[in-house]
Amino acid sequence: MSYPSLEEKLAALKVSEPTAYERSCLDAVSPGDYEIGVQRTADILDEGYEVFMRSSRSQMGVAGDSIVAMFNAQGDLVNASAGTYLHAVIPPIVIKYILKNFQENPGIADGDIWYTNDALYGGIHNPDQVAIMPVFFEGELVAWTAALSHTTETGACEPGGMPVSAKSRFDEGMNLPPMKIGHDHVLRHDVIEMFAAFGLRSETSVTVDLRARCTTADRVRVRLLEMFAREGKDFVTGLFRRMLIEAEQGARKRLASWPDGVYRCATFSDSAGTEHGLMRNCFMTMTKKDDTLHLDFTGTSPENGSSYNAHPQAVIGHLANYIYEYVFHDLPISSATFQPIDFEFPPNSMLSPAPNAATSCAVMAATGAMSSIANCVGRARFGTTEWRQVTASLGNGGNASVLAGVSQWGMPFADMLAYTINTEGQGARSHSDGINAYGFPWCAFGRAPDVENMENELPMLVPFSQHWPDSGGAGKHRGGVGTAQLWVTHHVPYVVFMSIADNSIVQTPQPLFGGYTMCTCPGLSMEGVDIPELLRAGDEGTLDLASLLAGKYGGQIVSETYARTARPVMSDQVITLGISTGGAGYGDPLDRDPQAVEKDVTDGLISDWSATNVYAVRFNERTGRVDPEATTAFRREALAERKARGKTWDEFHEGWSQRKPPEEVLGLYGSWPDAAVVNPLMRM
Amino acid sequence: MPNTIHVAEYLDLDVDSERWHCHSCGQDVGDARDNYKKGLLIHERDPGEVHPPLIDGEFTFAPNPEWIRILEFYCPGCGRQVETEYLPPGHPITHDTEIDLDSLKRKLAAGELRIDEHGKLEVAT
Repeated sequence: MSYPSLEEKLAALKVSEPTAYERSCLDAVSPGDYEIGVQRTADILDEGYEVFMRSSRSQMGVAGDSIVAMFNAQGDLVNASAGTYLHAVIPPIVIKYILKNFQENPGIADGDIWYTNDALYGGIHNPDQVAIMPVFFEGELVAWTAALSHTTETGACEPGGMPVSAKSRFDEGMNLPPMKIGHDHVLRHDVIEMFAAFGLRSETSVTVDLRARCTTADRVRVRLLEMFAREGKDFVTGLFRRMLIEAEQGARKRLASWPDGVYRCATFSDSAGTEHGLMRNCFMTMTKKDDTLHLDFTGTSPENGSSYNAHPQAVIGHLANYIYEYVFHDLPISSATFQPIDFEFPPNSMLSPAPNAATSCAVMAATGAMSSIANCVGRARFGTTEWRQVTASLGNGGNASVLAGVSQWGMPFADMLAYTINTEGQGARSHSDGINAYGFPWCAFGRAPDVENMENELPMLVPFSQHWPDSGGAGKHRGGVGTAQLWVTHHVPYVVFMSIADNSIVQTPQPLFGGYTMCTCPGLSMEGVDIPELLRAGDEGTLDLASLLAGKYGGQIVSETYARTARPVMSDQVITLGISTGGAGYGDPLDRDPQAVEKDVTDGLISDWSATNVYAVRFNERTGRVDPEATTAFRREALAERKARGKTWDEFHEGWSQRKPPEEVLGLYGSWPDAAVVNPLMRM
Repeated sequence: MPNTIHVAEYLDLDVDSERWHCHSCGQDVGDARDNYKKGLLIHERDPGEVHPPLIDGEFTFAPNPEWIRILEFYCPGCGRQVETEYLPPGHPITHDTEIDLDSLKRKLAAGELRIDEHGKLEVAT
């Protein structure tokens, strides 16, 4: 086997040296023409993104949790339309692997369709799949195109493509290294049959999504060829290289304004698959020097025997989510923006596991990295004129649930419910609250599906959807709140349900500058609930999270971790309460404008309890409005209490340094407290 | 404020004296070559005091206090909550911000960086 080493993957992320021909083409791109050319690439990609969503079948594909990208002939990412920024990192590794290994056999030809979903070769996790096409102009390879999206079935040991019970990659179903699945612009029928066989639980979505990726990559290829024909090869080649140069210059200029130094963040999680245990799921040391960043993950907990591991490029992809959204938001989505950034991954950590590791829940393993980068960059950047771009961490819960079975239309299906993951709260911003139910931290552009669409596509009812009070981290600026939905099996004898996440015992994101993070998310279902009464309340609009938790509809609440292995749920029974996390908070809650607290209470975004106990706001009992004088006095008292109860560094450490979490929760952690590998892991 | 950078919501860095100061009240919080948290007051909280349990049982919407604690860092001058950190009991406090003062001074002196009227760094044009 020749899967790329970590060093080869990291090298592939770097932009290739320009050829002599490319250098000569730079002069063909004059000012004005350059800007128009850049916009043209964006228009082509946006068209591809729209085609992608309209062609996809799975809920995530329809929601736009995808990316469409174009590359130069060497495989450097030139621009993309997102979607899922994390996918932008993958294709250069894969394309450069194809160029290195398959030039002769099977050869690279016009009309090829290449494909992979194997994280060992450069993917995120195997539900994330990419179709890649070379672009030949007048017989010469001049570019590449790619379309990437998540499909929720891979033929793994549980439905949904992200098996929480997987122990190694051999439990995860289809893993395709980069391979040619079509030639002469035709997708091979035997390959489609292979996808159907692996996707037996959900043949339609698997095969339609496969075609959607190929269709999209081809649409971008066709449009690029039109551009080459219209503008000439010299211009487009020069344009691509200039875009890479400008993107790198832009990235370096931005980094140069931050103060040099070392910035650190430690985050924690509570589960690896079905095993509970404390992990330091990221220890990030970010060293900023001149116009470069160095990100070191030494100190992250060891790899584990579940699917909650992430290969390094998957981790880098998760950093891209934040970096493209907040740091390089005005630059092309390009390999060149990552040119000034280097990485260091300790071997056998959960962020750099062995080749046989299960990684299908890599997106869970990488939430610490995704949160930490917001924290470290926020600290480096606040002291600059870019301070308005500083935010606390996004929700990053990724509370994903899967339904599978036979739908009300008689179709086998396995799909991820896109509503919950696409409605997490944004982290509080340095100048304002985070946006409520802003979207999917893995895909800023993802859309929450309409409830009518969910009920039409899947055998279920959704009696209520709401913002979830107190789900956003408190602070001077509040984290955006997440959502809650109730799901009930309907129209079919049963569905199979499973759920993927951690964050039921501890939350991973750290808050910023004195705020609090979000609360934890239990996995809740209900037994013996009066479903007809509950549905009536749903119709009347009186059904909500609070009344459910208060037991108003009878029965019993069953509380587990959010991650749950596959289990059947019978007709007209509660499947689960789908909840999405809020964003982390920013700044001292005592600094929050009391009027904003009052509005939050009125809007159902925070509880009366939080208004009083966290924000220290006092209300006039008669009017229900803020009492400004009483609030000022109460807050003054609270500040004085802090000074009285706070301990100095030395006093605090007398007790603190002697303590440790219970031994029984440290089995996944590694050595205490530095999280080094203690015992090598053996996988079958 | 000449040569003072507003480096965090509640933290100023006096480049000349190499001292951290509270941005709200001006309190000196220590040597800027050391962890600013050493100059703050620290209080440990059960996370349930901020994220109250909403249901009975093992998983309640509140972080498990045996696994994780909230550390609050207060300004000794005004009581402002400068930082918070969610840490397992006994876990070392994170040295989250270690600015390279020598580099900063060099770049300011060379005119590569400047501090604007709001105490924010920018690349000199």
